[in-house]
Amino acid sequence: MLDCHSLDPLVTPYIDGELPGADRRAIDDHLRACPPCHSRVAAERVVRDLIRARCRQLQEMGAPESLQRRCASALARVTLERATADSLSLGRPSGERRWASWRARVTPYALAASLVLVVGGAFVYQATDKSARVMAAELTADHVKCLALNRALGTHQTTAAVESSLASGFGWHVHLPENPARADLELVGARPCLYGEGKVAHIMYRHRGKPVSLFMLPNTARAGELVEVLGHEAAIWCVGNRTFVLVAREPKQDVERLASFVQTALR
Amino acid sequence: MPPAQGFNRVSAAFEAEALAALDSLYRAALRLTRVPADAEDLVQDTYLKAFRAAESFEPGTNLKAWLFTILHNTARNRARDRARAPVSVDSEIVDQASDIAPESGQPETPETMLLRETLAPELQAAIDALPDAFRQAVWLRDVEEFSYAEIAEMLSIPIGTVMSRISRGRQMLFKRLHHLRPVNA
Repeated sequence: MLDCHSLDPLVTPYIDGELPGADRRAIDDHLRACPPCHSRVAAERVVRDLIRARCRQLQEMGAPESLQRRCASALARVTLERATADSLSLGRPSGERRWASWRARVTPYALAASLVLVVGGAFVYQATDKSARVMAAELTADHVKCLALNRALGTHQTTAAVESSLASGFGWHVHLPENPARADLELVGARPCLYGEGKVAHIMYRHRGKPVSLFMLPNTARAGELVEVLGHEAAIWCVGNRTFVLVAREPKQDVERLASFVQTALR
Repeated sequence: MPPAQGFNRVSAAFEAEALAALDSLYRAALRLTRVPADAEDLVQDTYLKAFRAAESFEPGTNLKAWLFTILHNTARNRARDRARAPVSVDSEIVDQASDIAPESGQPETPETMLLRETLAPELQAAIDALPDAFRQAVWLRDVEEFSYAEIAEMLSIPIGTVMSRISRGRQMLFKRLHHLRPVNA
């Protein structure tokens, strides 16, 4: 039979139900014969049960909203570091090993660049001449992050509702496609983008179940372009003094088609 | 799965799952630092490191446990930087100092039962008052429900030590909470 000393290291897994049957039975036998060990086990078990019973209440305190925002933008920051690094690497073949060794060399520059972009608050696009690729990378990162955070894909909104919320909430008057279903699009919602200090409109669609983002950047002029970035395609075009960027993880021709559909409606 | 290309390695699903652990990580960070501003920095650092190292995460394993490991490693490194000395001293001393002898003859009693009535704030206060090493171990096991192996990895200690810290931590809590209860005639 087990003695008290050899029981010691087994008590916690015993209480937690992590011991095999034979060990359990040996301990049961010992506990029946040994009041001190019995009471020790009872004490530990009551505390364990108590904590588990109060688990939900103990976990009530959540992270502050400011921290949620900081962490949500952590991926965007990392993505941006890499995108910035990548935009310096034009013409390089991709591949894991090459990427890793190359990144090791470029990282200091990439970090410096992203610090300027992030800390400098230089997200006001009209004030910068950063490349279309970097802009597209930022917006794509926001597209990914926003959809992951908001789980917005379950919702549905009418064109009129989104237009009026953009107009009343942010003073943006935009004419979105009246019948997005013609291009297999479903309108999910709109919000100000965290980038551009909230000066960028982010309109979210669903295309055959997959997320599509339309960004509107006021007071910005850019040449039309289709950029492949972060595994997504970003179509960029300009109407008047506004730049639009449509981002989706879809084949190039689909993104071009969606962009031209939205573009037609916007005119 | 085809190898991911370039920097396109952090999937939306990975990010969403990682961010879902935010509240838990923050609570863990608060228990480690005890200062909200430090806790926030620690958590943000954890996410930056996690996203930078996302390709080294092994799919199919516990992402939350992986994040907790990064959090604890980061906290240890910070403490080490601050102290400019090895940091494990604290927990070793605690391990040696608080060897609790099993209490003599107390089977399941009305008092033991009464303990079950302890409310969350009282319990929280008692947990907060535990020495660091025991507080971490008990919390990670009984609140976050990580396995002994996962906790061992996070705290960088052997599994046997994890179990003995959980055991001692629970016993200390029992004594403390038991003490708080009025003695009934």
